[in-house]
Amino acid sequence: MRALKKYRKQIFAGVALAFGVAAIAFTVWVFTLDRKITSQFEGRRWTLPAQVYAQPTELYVGQTFSAETLEQDLQRLGYQRVDKPQHPGSYSRKGTRIDLINRRFQFWDALQEPQLLTIKTNGNAVEDLRNGRNEEVPIFRLDPLLIGSIFPIHGEDRVVVTPEEVSQLLPSALKVVEDRKFDTHWGVNPTAIMRAAFVNLRAGAIEQGGSTLTQQLVKSYFLDNRRTIGRKIEEAIMAMLLEVHFSKQDLMNAYINEIYLGQDGQRAIHGFGLASQFYFGKPLAELQLHEVALLVAIVRGPSYYDPRRHPQRARERRDMVLKLMAEHGVIAPDMANKAAKRPLGIVSSGSQAGGGYYPAFLDLVRRTLRRDYREEDLTEAGLRIFSTLDPTVQTQAEKALTQELDRLDKTRKTKSKAPLEGVVVVTAPQNGEVIAMVGGRQASFAGFNRALDAKRSIGSLVKPVIYLAAIESGQFNAASIVEDGPVSVKLANGQLWEPKNISEQYYGPVPLVRALAQSMNLATVNLGMSVGLPKVTREFVALGLEKEPPQLPSVLLGSLDVSPLEVAQLYNAFANGGFSTPLRAVRSVLDTEGKPLKSFALEVTPVASPDAVYQVNRMMVEVIEHGSGRGARAQIPPDVVVAGKSGTSSDYRDSWFAGFSGSHLAVVWIGHDDNSPTGLTGSSGSLPVWSRLMANLGTTSWSAPLPESLEETWIEFPTGLGARPDCGEEPIAIAVPKGTELPMQPSCGTNVFGEFGEKAKEWWRGITRQ
Amino acid sequence: MITWQRKLPSLVAVLVVSACAVPPPYRAPAPPAPVPPPTQEPPVETRPAPAPEPPVEQPPPPAPVVREPVLSAASRALVSQAQIQLQSKNYPVAASSIERALRIEPDNPLLWIELGKVRQAEGNYVQAENMGRKAASMSVNAPRANSSAWTLIAESLRARGKNSEAQEALLRAQGVR
Repeated sequence: MRALKKYRKQIFAGVALAFGVAAIAFTVWVFTLDRKITSQFEGRRWTLPAQVYAQPTELYVGQTFSAETLEQDLQRLGYQRVDKPQHPGSYSRKGTRIDLINRRFQFWDALQEPQLLTIKTNGNAVEDLRNGRNEEVPIFRLDPLLIGSIFPIHGEDRVVVTPEEVSQLLPSALKVVEDRKFDTHWGVNPTAIMRAAFVNLRAGAIEQGGSTLTQQLVKSYFLDNRRTIGRKIEEAIMAMLLEVHFSKQDLMNAYINEIYLGQDGQRAIHGFGLASQFYFGKPLAELQLHEVALLVAIVRGPSYYDPRRHPQRARERRDMVLKLMAEHGVIAPDMANKAAKRPLGIVSSGSQAGGGYYPAFLDLVRRTLRRDYREEDLTEAGLRIFSTLDPTVQTQAEKALTQELDRLDKTRKTKSKAPLEGVVVVTAPQNGEVIAMVGGRQASFAGFNRALDAKRSIGSLVKPVIYLAAIESGQFNAASIVEDGPVSVKLANGQLWEPKNISEQYYGPVPLVRALAQSMNLATVNLGMSVGLPKVTREFVALGLEKEPPQLPSVLLGSLDVSPLEVAQLYNAFANGGFSTPLRAVRSVLDTEGKPLKSFALEVTPVASPDAVYQVNRMMVEVIEHGSGRGARAQIPPDVVVAGKSGTSSDYRDSWFAGFSGSHLAVVWIGHDDNSPTGLTGSSGSLPVWSRLMANLGTTSWSAPLPESLEETWIEFPTGLGARPDCGEEPIAIAVPKGTELPMQPSCGTNVFGEFGEKAKEWWRGITRQ
Repeated sequence: MITWQRKLPSLVAVLVVSACAVPPPYRAPAPPAPVPPPTQEPPVETRPAPAPEPPVEQPPPPAPVVREPVLSAASRALVSQAQIQLQSKNYPVAASSIERALRIEPDNPLLWIELGKVRQAEGNYVQAENMGRKAASMSVNAPRANSSAWTLIAESLRARGKNSEAQEALLRAQGVR
């Protein structure tokens, strides 16, 4: 006691010191928290993944578009069908007439303001297009579909909205359901905390949170789900600090953009803007009461109330939200009752906007941009990317592939444990835009991107390149005779190379056009050897292959590992009449403010003689008419001219078909990931996919005009002898350089280039409708 | 024999159709209407002023069938929009307007020529020439369009100092007319 008295001063000083230090430490801590929270809030508040858009639908008079397809397009864009369109994103349909009000949209070259449009269709074409003042509109583009975003792996994805884009219903509903004192409290709500503490104490576990919206915001910023007391205190202090610095409106807006609302594979859905796309396929501004209520219902537990997996649960909570809104006077009770009768209205996860569903294509977009942008710019800087994807073509490509693969898996003789895999790449040949890309059977599965990374042996797909080199040499034309007989080439290592035809037969002397159409290996090797390997391998590079193939005879039969996208690049040069254009997946890139950063302009480069390419293309038409592509006619109408080539690698490991029409180029690959044999040729595997796709696209004829230096003539397909349309065996029309003299089929007379040349031309015009 | 008979009806149909529908001669895209103030983006609905009367028709050559391309209404609107954008030296945007039209009519050599002119204006003479060559390869049956294509090629070659090649191209431009 005495000692205590004696040291009273010291003890007092010690305690005071301890308090002082604690107070200083606390102040420092609060300052640190303050800096942390304000910089988080003020700095770059959200990392904004780049948003990727599909190509917009263009409307113009004469366009092939029925009211039905236009309506499908509008529904995919989340336009709402109404009796009379009053607001952007709505439309009405009366038979073949559609009225719509488009959404405001910042394109790369102009801002499109909302306006009323009236579209009248006649059968399969747009007949009349007018605006609200009844003036004719020559061309109009709809806002494009948002197909995805480039977000970090396992990362947050979001679409940020401004307060103007948010209906007043949403903040009101949030307050009623999550934080009724939001407008008045200073960051924490002691009553709510006490109530929660009481509930938790009684339950013996933490069951209920008394968090304000501000606290939830803080928690979401720092992604920490530990519910310890220390954590709670820190959170509460930070919430109060936020309230000191920022207005309630700023905080509400931050909350709306920040909060976690669902999971899509690796992608975390953050913010109501993206959630609206993710669940309803339309912008937040267009949501109706029952939809807003559902999103508010999800806040409490995005996985527990997942409307796709637990629709009943989600619905009950949505109706509870509606009831609360009515009770607190946010909406009238009859509105709540009406909304509660509506279905959830969730779009199916396959068709939804919001992305992640074209992973192969998005991967191509990402790789394209990685050449110019750092990864962080793509995942954080809020770029807007205008891509070349055509959602309709993409859907058709996915459908064609899965339907045929299912059929093939059922009927195939060679049974295999693994199911078949496949790839489809579609381009618009004249401008090199990649309009669809399916990277596998499960198109929406993001994994190994076969379209870009599966480098497989392309077999006979190499043949048109060899025939082009031959024709460019000036020594051959489509009727020139090559020998399909035994081949024996001595290789550099001393071994003999003795390839065979798939049929293991020899066909003897055949014209070039038949050798290509029926994909004869030995005739092709002989042709390639006489043209010279260096000329052939250089041709590959000229047409757009990045790496020159080795100068080996086996290259003549396609032992060359190439990805489907590279095949598309190669064949695009044929489809584009000897002009190469780099395949593009991106048209342009805008920054967050809508300022153009970069555009990928259309470039064309002449890479092969247009006349030689024309001759080879005509031969590729014969692949479809008389050769290995004949099966295409089961699907494609006889008056649509298409050209292509099949490919099969050794032991039937890879089945390929590449070909084009006037408006589409498509490359199809089918095989196994482990490179095991499939038992399929190009014609039995990939061709049916290709022709189903081309037929469903309603594609247009290939119809390049006959070059000046060429003329048309008739020959016998089997022998290559001059013939007449009404004379000879299987007469076909081919294009040859003017003045070419062909030995005549004796029974057909000699007059090839007079009357019959003209007839050939007329016949060709007849089928191409030139 | 069989092939021929099968194709005959469609051939007849084509002949009948082409006999009735004489394609109107190509009209050069009209000069743009008075330039609006620069801040105002030209609306998409802009329509060109009526084209000037085409020059007096020359008697058509007997063969082959001449098919001069024409621009659709949509393409015409986009081309005149591009010409306005070109005046404000906004080359990427002008090019993207022509590209929009090309997506609608990829086979129309006139649009490739227009795109070549945008490249020419921005000084990209290699692409201007290439666009010209693309247009030339598509317009073998269209002397007027073919001539414009070769003129573009000639101008682009001259800009790069390739005078003798330019001269040859110019001769082709005049020759096919």
